[in-house]
Amino acid sequence: MAIEITVPRLGWNMDEGVFVGWLKANGERVRPGEMIYSLEGDKAIQEVESLDGGILRIPPNAPKAGERVVVGALLAYLVAEGEKAPFELPSRGTAATKAQAPAAAGRSQATVSRATAPSIAADRSSETSRNKAISPRARRVAAELGVDWQSIHGSGRTGRIRERDVRAAAQTSPIGAQPKPSGAKRVPLTAARRTIARRMLESARSTAPVTLTTKVDATNLVGWRKKMEAAAAGGIVPGYTDIFVKLAAVALKEHPQLNARLDGETMLLLEEINMGFAVDTPWGLVVPVLRDAARLDMMAVTGRSRELVERALARRLLPQEMEGGTFTVTNLGAYGVDAFTPIINHPQCAILGVGRIRREPAVAGEAIVAREMVTLSLTFDHRLVDGAPAARFLRTIASLIESPSAALDT
Amino acid sequence: MRELTFMQATLEGLAEEMARDPAIFVLGEGIGKRGGNFNTTAGLYELYGERRLRDTPIAERGFVGLACGAAMTGSRPVVDFMFSDFLLDAFAELVNQIAKMQYMSSGRLKMPILLRGCIGIGHSAATHHSGSYYPLYGHVPGLRVVVPSTPADAKGLLKRALNSFDPVVFLEHRELLTTKGKVPDGEHQVEFGRASIVREGKDVTVVAIAITVRHSLAACEELAQEGLSVEVIDPRTVAPLDVETILASVRKTGRLLIADETLAPFGLGAEIAAQVADLGFDDLDAPIRRLNGSHVPTPYSPPLEAAVIPNSKSIAQAIRELAAE
Repeated sequence: MAIEITVPRLGWNMDEGVFVGWLKANGERVRPGEMIYSLEGDKAIQEVESLDGGILRIPPNAPKAGERVVVGALLAYLVAEGEKAPFELPSRGTAATKAQAPAAAGRSQATVSRATAPSIAADRSSETSRNKAISPRARRVAAELGVDWQSIHGSGRTGRIRERDVRAAAQTSPIGAQPKPSGAKRVPLTAARRTIARRMLESARSTAPVTLTTKVDATNLVGWRKKMEAAAAGGIVPGYTDIFVKLAAVALKEHPQLNARLDGETMLLLEEINMGFAVDTPWGLVVPVLRDAARLDMMAVTGRSRELVERALARRLLPQEMEGGTFTVTNLGAYGVDAFTPIINHPQCAILGVGRIRREPAVAGEAIVAREMVTLSLTFDHRLVDGAPAARFLRTIASLIESPSAALDT
Repeated sequence: MRELTFMQATLEGLAEEMARDPAIFVLGEGIGKRGGNFNTTAGLYELYGERRLRDTPIAERGFVGLACGAAMTGSRPVVDFMFSDFLLDAFAELVNQIAKMQYMSSGRLKMPILLRGCIGIGHSAATHHSGSYYPLYGHVPGLRVVVPSTPADAKGLLKRALNSFDPVVFLEHRELLTTKGKVPDGEHQVEFGRASIVREGKDVTVVAIAITVRHSLAACEELAQEGLSVEVIDPRTVAPLDVETILASVRKTGRLLIADETLAPFGLGAEIAAQVADLGFDDLDAPIRRLNGSHVPTPYSPPLEAAVIPNSKSIAQAIRELAAE
């Protein structure tokens, strides 16, 4: 009995991924526990492990490197010595892809699931929807106009979708109906980009965001870091993002309603403080998560965050390293930005935006003095928390920045 | 511009070329004093005598072989078959010698030979005098195959053939011979491999040839009143075939019908459909359709004869159905 190799769900929200390539050759023997192929999930490339052993047989119509594959899609088979793979048997045709959600969905580990009766049924139903007839010309025009033809009713004699149906749909649909402007280049979205787009839209649609900004005197913080730099003598020094992550985590301990999320008709006040922090990579934004950040000291935060950033830049973050965040810090100071309106990392309650630190004239008593100033932008979900408590939280962070030693040296 | 019949136009073309080029001579049955069964050489015998208008016995393979040798050695023979069905009696000479000779001689020999005759179904000419067979000739490498539909094209293509150094099979639909059309004054030639857009339209492309061009134009009039705008393309030469013009039209309309009186299997429509499916796949908004004569020997009985060929009504209906696909 051939064992099916299907696409696992690598992260909680993963619906599809990009097939990166085989790590074993067609016809090669695979032992349980060996890595068999790599898959790009929502944010990382991961090698997928085989849970069974056998001889790898890849059907001719299997996904090619770079193709999108839905979770549950059939990639290949493991067969016994001398056994024929199902696609070599004359009577039973096998589709290379199927939109079957495996029972193991949500498991973040690699899965190799066995063929079951329900999966065959799911296969058939998805075949029917894919067999919707469309003329080659209509398909081309749909691509040009950005129309999703799957939802169009065909007016051809046999129900075939014709060019006129696509054009009519493009005229009635306000979104995605614009023809491609001349000179524009069409670039397919990566899995990571699609995930970012989906998450941002989800946040914009399902939260009630309010942004508060405040200017804080960071002279002491800058001084503290200079001291660390001198003491480290070329060793590791906490970066500003690390410092703001740590300070925000400390502040969250005092303001648990900012470390919360909505759950139906209740509010969950979360015990763990897991700090996400935004990292810009060539493939797009990723947000690795520092677990239990409030309990880690400054050097532990620094060490762990460096590790996560390195993995992010090598595209090696594991899905679980980007899950479970309860609050997010995003620092645009390095880009010369002062204040901005960060988007909440849904379903979290709030996100702290950090601007650049720069010397500015400030009033001290009756004198004008040069101080290191930083602007903080806190976006919070007004459904969960009101303006005053959010402002108090921001004030706590500001105090910690003004007098950082107590929080940072312990 | 003068109004001439198809027959007058080709005769004018032949007369002009014979006057220009003394190497041209005509072979055939009854083309001398008699002037040709379809008046293809009327009046020329009086000008040039039997030296250049040579009547032959009923021995096609013999006189086609003779014409082959004459072409190889510098003359320009015109073989007039009356009915092109009789060319089949000399098929081996055509395929194995005439079509291949330039290739086999590495281009040292030229083959300026024109083989002409009637094609088409009508007037109860029955099965030995109704063949068209241009798909057969189009299949053979080395031949130019000309199938005009108007007097002007007939004259222009005949004159082009008499200036070409390739063997040309020139096929004249018998039901078109007495049809009239405007013919340009003065020198007039039509290039091979240039289709004519006979009528412009935007909903459906019809490729028609010889008699079906006329039928299609009649159908277009009817369909225009129903709001259907039909483009009609006449390839004029089967070999070379102007696929570019057909593709450009399909790019516009997305729908293609090939209306052809000859038989469908392995035919002109099959060739055009294959090329368009290959090169214009993404332009197609409907399956490619063919409308052909029935795949039977042509019947003698007038009602049966009428039943085996496309006409303007059946073409109009095929266009309507294609538009609804």
